[in-house]
Amino acid sequence: MPARLRSFAKALIHRGRIENEMAEELEFHIATRAEDIMRSGVSPAEARRRALIEFGAVERHKEDAREARGLRLVNELGGDLRYGWRQLLRTPSFSLLAVAVLAIGIGANTAIFSAIDAVMLRFLPVQAPEQLRRIEWVAREGEFVGSYNGSMRPNALKQLVAWSVSYPVYRHIRDNSTSFSGLMTFSGFTQLNLTIRGHATLVAGELVSGNYFSTLGTQAVLGRTLIPEDDRETSLAVAAVISHPYWQRNFGSDPATVGQRIAINGKPAVIVGVLPKGFCGVNPAWCPDVMLPLAVYEILGQGEGVLQEPDHWYFEVIGRLKPGISDEKARAETELLMRQAILQYRPKEAGDLPRVNLSPGGQGIDELRSEYRQPLRLLMCAVGAVLAIACANLAGLLLVRSAARQREIGIRLAMGAGRWRIMRQLLTEGLLLAFLGGAAGTLLAQYGGSAVVRMLAEKNQPPGVAVAANLKIFGFSLALCLLTGLALGLAPAWRAARVEVVTLVKSSGAGADRAPLRAGKVLIAVQAALSLVLISGSALFIGTLVNLESEAIGFKPYNILLFQLDPTLSGYKEGRLLDFHEQVLRSVSELPGVTSASISRWGLLAGSRTTDSIRVPGEKPISTDTHFVAPRFFETMGIPLIAGRDVTWNDRESSKPVTLVNEALARKYFHGLSPVGRILELEEKKVEIIGVTGNTKFGSLRDDMRPSVFIPFRQNPQHSMTYALRSMSNPKEMTLAVRSAIEAIDRNVPMYEVKTQIEQIGELVRRERLLAGLVSGFSLIAVVLAGLGIYGTLAYFVARRTPEIGVHMALGAQKRTVIALVMRETAMPVLIGLACGVAGALASGSIVEKFLFGLTPQNPWALGTGAAVLLACSLCASLAPAFRAAGIAPMQALRHE
Amino acid sequence: MAEHVPLLPGTLDLLILKAVSLGPQHGYGVLLRIGQISRQALVIEQGALYPALYRLEHQGLIESEWGISDNNRRAKFYRLTAKGRERLQTETAGWQRLVEAMAAALGARSEEV
Repeated sequence: MPARLRSFAKALIHRGRIENEMAEELEFHIATRAEDIMRSGVSPAEARRRALIEFGAVERHKEDAREARGLRLVNELGGDLRYGWRQLLRTPSFSLLAVAVLAIGIGANTAIFSAIDAVMLRFLPVQAPEQLRRIEWVAREGEFVGSYNGSMRPNALKQLVAWSVSYPVYRHIRDNSTSFSGLMTFSGFTQLNLTIRGHATLVAGELVSGNYFSTLGTQAVLGRTLIPEDDRETSLAVAAVISHPYWQRNFGSDPATVGQRIAINGKPAVIVGVLPKGFCGVNPAWCPDVMLPLAVYEILGQGEGVLQEPDHWYFEVIGRLKPGISDEKARAETELLMRQAILQYRPKEAGDLPRVNLSPGGQGIDELRSEYRQPLRLLMCAVGAVLAIACANLAGLLLVRSAARQREIGIRLAMGAGRWRIMRQLLTEGLLLAFLGGAAGTLLAQYGGSAVVRMLAEKNQPPGVAVAANLKIFGFSLALCLLTGLALGLAPAWRAARVEVVTLVKSSGAGADRAPLRAGKVLIAVQAALSLVLISGSALFIGTLVNLESEAIGFKPYNILLFQLDPTLSGYKEGRLLDFHEQVLRSVSELPGVTSASISRWGLLAGSRTTDSIRVPGEKPISTDTHFVAPRFFETMGIPLIAGRDVTWNDRESSKPVTLVNEALARKYFHGLSPVGRILELEEKKVEIIGVTGNTKFGSLRDDMRPSVFIPFRQNPQHSMTYALRSMSNPKEMTLAVRSAIEAIDRNVPMYEVKTQIEQIGELVRRERLLAGLVSGFSLIAVVLAGLGIYGTLAYFVARRTPEIGVHMALGAQKRTVIALVMRETAMPVLIGLACGVAGALASGSIVEKFLFGLTPQNPWALGTGAAVLLACSLCASLAPAFRAAGIAPMQALRHE
Repeated sequence: MAEHVPLLPGTLDLLILKAVSLGPQHGYGVLLRIGQISRQALVIEQGALYPALYRLEHQGLIESEWGISDNNRRAKFYRLTAKGRERLQTETAGWQRLVEAMAAALGARSEEV
């Protein structure tokens, strides 16, 4: 077998040379034979003539010889391709349309697949990512986790799964583990105030353990990475490494960047290295600009005692398994070490300690993956449907065309062409179309895929993954092209294989061949069904978006400018911190155009929130949303104050603790009686209720309006605060004035997250927008294609039956009757398709259910819209052929025969 | 001159292998040699030789090389490969068995049955 393959490959590559050699070899044979004949005394010319006759048909033997090398198929394929190409050029507008349709179909699939590849399939760009393991632990609710402070998720068994441990626990595992060659940890997203050459900006930072880079096996492209020696508290400059894009953006890729002195949150630091291109840490959801050693956590004012506190379980751990160590051995050892560490600071825990699992860490943290797994899967289904529609559509049109080519095929069969040979020709034509479309589509996909991935980005920071052309994506589109090509070529090829030579050659041009019409109708039904599923799906997503955006939020979001300030990044603390906020707020309130201004911890509908547990003395505690606000917050946001008074500047650290509550809380605890003057217990502190406000949404649009408390911000200091400024006109126009007002107070405190409240709410529905936008786009394509398909099939029907219709007309049929006759042809398949589509949409309801808000997948309006749009589309598409049929003059039709 | 015998199907490949096994030969030489070793009884259609040669080369049973012929022309010489020699032996053995079996069958008399 290898000999044959080699010989075939050689034959393929050196086709020209082999042809020449073959010619030379045969020439040698004939010349030598002629010489032998000449010896019997014949003239050279006569000898050559006889030699040639003896040899036989040279070209036939050559062809046999080529076939012996397996070259015949290749030669024929070349011929088929040339012939197919000529066929395409004969009908350029059809070909262009077909290629465009396929480009969209294959392009959309490749785009979504490359987004899936970037988000779901990619491994971290580090050394041997398959050796990395992520430590996770599981505990039953109410046991150990009662005192745990960190994020976790419930699993199917109602246990809590978490990935973070406290720093002392991490240190104990790291220092005693024998199964890992390295165990590292990191802080996650940390906002930092970076000063380069006196200019302060906010950057996305991450604090990492000293062995972070050695565990990942990542080298710096310039300078060095962080090493364990950097990871200790120091009075010297803090070592910092910067990302490749940050280096390009802010230092113009200057090699002298290494060694440059900067300030981070006001502390001296020095850039020691630049990270490789594409390296974005271990969380693909975002890309840090700067990475610092974890030991500076406290120096930077990120939280006191976090590295010492055994109860702050904030740190995720990723390790590199030593070669030859089994997962189970490493797991058991890590579990033992974690339990030891917990018992060191909490000797009584014995019974209910967490169990440890190791999960693969080669893809990093799965935040982005778990959030977008289902939306991406859904989009993949949608683009799959688009491609299926495109295929059904073009297959129908090709079938009609192949019907027009029946005579050509009949003649070729009659002249002795093999059926397989003709089928191959038709398949080649389908494949040619598919590959042309695929090539164009792959170009489209490059842009489409990146656009989709950019839409997934969070924290105003580009995601840590990017769409990149690779073998996986190439293989995917290649497979798509092949499948599409086969799907397109198969129907015409199948028909060609069943052609009866005699009937065909005998029949005149307008034979009453109804088979392609039948097949065409089936294909129309398929398109109608798939389009209906897509259209009703997009109606559901648009409905969800409308429902979310028209959801009562309890405040007036227009004309509000939002921004945040975090003076702690510039060293403000306690009293000075509160004074700073008060000073800024008073200053910006007086700006021209500002009708009202206030601050709160997060603002409303920012995606973040604070929750607490409160109680009325003597009653069960309930969970509330907690706001920390300045005076005039309700006025600024447009929340009605129903009873009592607002927070004033006199509600200070030293004064009596007070709070406002919303109606939901008042109703829950006070059953219609006025709560003003009553006492609440909040974190074991007694606070007096001074007023009642209307209900608002806080964390997300999907949540109910929850019981909330509003506490004067001076009575509960927070790091950063969100400013809200209500203006009379476009709030964005105030940005410059606000910035200079803040700079007049302290130019080292930068504004960030500057946006309007409307933009803020828009971000909350980003995923819904993505789905609604893309799925509607795909349905639009589907409808246009379905219309084209119906039009094409009907036009063929009318052309084929022109004589028959002419006879009808001559016998006195009304135009109306003829129009009805034509319209009926597609009405049935469309209706059958709609019925199947409704069934399909209902069956696939569970896939979309969790993305919806305020409606169910069975929503009759969505299905109705889908059906109406499709019926309208099929009506439009069939009008033109129907009227053409009605316009047929009987005489002309009869001459046609 | 000997009487011509039509070639049995499948025997051309075996004859070419045999001819080439006696020393490297160009296509025309293979033709002459088959005539010579079959005492001119077997005659091959000239053009049909080349597809057979290419097929054998494609299967890796013979290999070719360009050289200079006796009449001072450039010619392609074919040579048996190790795999070809093996094939020649098994095919020859198979042929012998067939011949013996056929001879025994055709030589059978009624009293032997």
